[in-house]
Amino acid sequence: MSTWPIWTVGAVLLIGAGFAAVAVPRLRAGDLHRRTEWSAARAAIGTATVSRDACPVPVAEAEQLLSRAELIAAGRGGLAAARAAAECARRADALWRAAARG
Amino acid sequence: MADRFPRPRPEWLRWAVLGVAAGILVIFLGAQRQSIEVSYGASPSTAQRIDQEPPGSAGVPSVEEMSALIRAKPVVRLPGAVASWDEAAVRAAAGGAEVRILVAPPGLDKAEQDRVRDVEGATVRIIGTQVSGGLYRSTGSTAADWRSQFATGDVTTLLMGLVAELNDQPAPAETDRLARRDPSAAELRAVTADLRRTGVHVAAGATLTEVPAAAAAAAFPGRRALYVALPQQPAGKPVPRYGPALAASFPDTPIVVMYGSWIEYDGPDAAGFAELATATYYGRFGDLLSRSAYPQRAVLATYLDRAADVRYSGLFDRPLPYRPLDPVRVALPALPWLFTACVVAFLLLSARSVRRPAPSAPSLGTPARLAGLTGLAVEMSALTSRASDPALTRGITKLLAARDALAGNLPDPHARELLDDAEAELDEAAQHLPFDGYRPGDYLRRRPA
Repeated sequence: MSTWPIWTVGAVLLIGAGFAAVAVPRLRAGDLHRRTEWSAARAAIGTATVSRDACPVPVAEAEQLLSRAELIAAGRGGLAAARAAAECARRADALWRAAARG
Repeated sequence: MADRFPRPRPEWLRWAVLGVAAGILVIFLGAQRQSIEVSYGASPSTAQRIDQEPPGSAGVPSVEEMSALIRAKPVVRLPGAVASWDEAAVRAAAGGAEVRILVAPPGLDKAEQDRVRDVEGATVRIIGTQVSGGLYRSTGSTAADWRSQFATGDVTTLLMGLVAELNDQPAPAETDRLARRDPSAAELRAVTADLRRTGVHVAAGATLTEVPAAAAAAAFPGRRALYVALPQQPAGKPVPRYGPALAASFPDTPIVVMYGSWIEYDGPDAAGFAELATATYYGRFGDLLSRSAYPQRAVLATYLDRAADVRYSGLFDRPLPYRPLDPVRVALPALPWLFTACVVAFLLLSARSVRRPAPSAPSLGTPARLAGLTGLAVEMSALTSRASDPALTRGITKLLAARDALAGNLPDPHARELLDDAEAELDEAAQHLPFDGYRPGDYLRRRPA
């Protein structure tokens, strides 16, 4: 049969298009989600840095938490890394604010 | 407006197209399984070999004796030899070269055939009517070749071809060496009388003992065929041709006439059938028949099997069976195009869904709020005090992050969350200022829209 290439190529295209139609939006959404989380993490780290500079007394635990958050951020990981960095930075920020309030 | 609110994507259309494509593919694959075999039933015969063992051979002398004979004479005919030829024509084909011919009887067993082949000095060996020499074997390829070879034992054509090849002479022209004549009234009367009485005429010298009944019934179902068996005819004389004369006397009756091992058919469908049966039968068994001495019954039985095979192959005497119209078969040529169209449609619809992500244009309120809060932060930075400084700086950090989020097309809720944080920080900073009106709620309300 001379029409076999049409069927083979057509079937491959159908399957490929199906996969692409599912995978591309999913990848795009995942990428957006990741960037959002990293944006939140960077904002939290920036806030914590400001709180540290404003704090009159050194807080060792907060320093540790912030440096860990910065370390994670420097490693450029995925969703979980972004969440962990944001969590560390937020806790450090809270510690410094408490220390600054006295 | 049409751009702002695009029509809802025809998602169901995409899936429908995919389903149609899959259905067409399944139909196509299913159609591959359908065979177009049209059978009339299996032929009951097995015309693959001649069933009967050939009778014992006449035997040949030892190799040394035959070598001595061939050295003494250019042509040696061993007892029982049946082949004959036109010596002048063969000499002319050889182009003057010496030709020594050893003629052995048919029906030799394997050892005896080997002995004949081992004879030194024989240019050409003839076993029965099988002609060989050097590395060659000469076999008939036309009905005329076979007719003279099997009806009269005349192998002139085969010999001429072989000696011309052996001596590098041009191949002789094809000729029909067998002359035919109409049978005389007396001959015809004797045969007709026998046929009217028993359906079979066996002439003196013929070896047909009986007509194989099963093979005859398969070859000519529902009809009584007539059989005439004649011995091998003398070479060089016109051979009577009984078929047409008998067909005139017995209309609409299959007539099989044997001249030695040569079989002719006359009667219904002779025009389409006789040539086909002859070509397939002698093409398949000619070589075996030429070197063997089968009795005519075995030769006839195999021929009738062959005739049954031809009949069952559907080439002869049968209308084609009715074939109902198959819509799949009719639509099959169009299926690849339909399939291609469905694939293209599915690709286009899928490409639309891939290329256009969900519309995530930020509501206009978010950038306006960012601008308002930024203006507030700038104003506050001129009035900042030690107590409000950290909160203001934190607020500005959040504002920068919100600006980046908007610039990076991040989701609107995320930007709003950052702005909420910034507003809370600015609110805290404003509480430390000695002036009223810098609380974000008040400030934003005061700003012109």
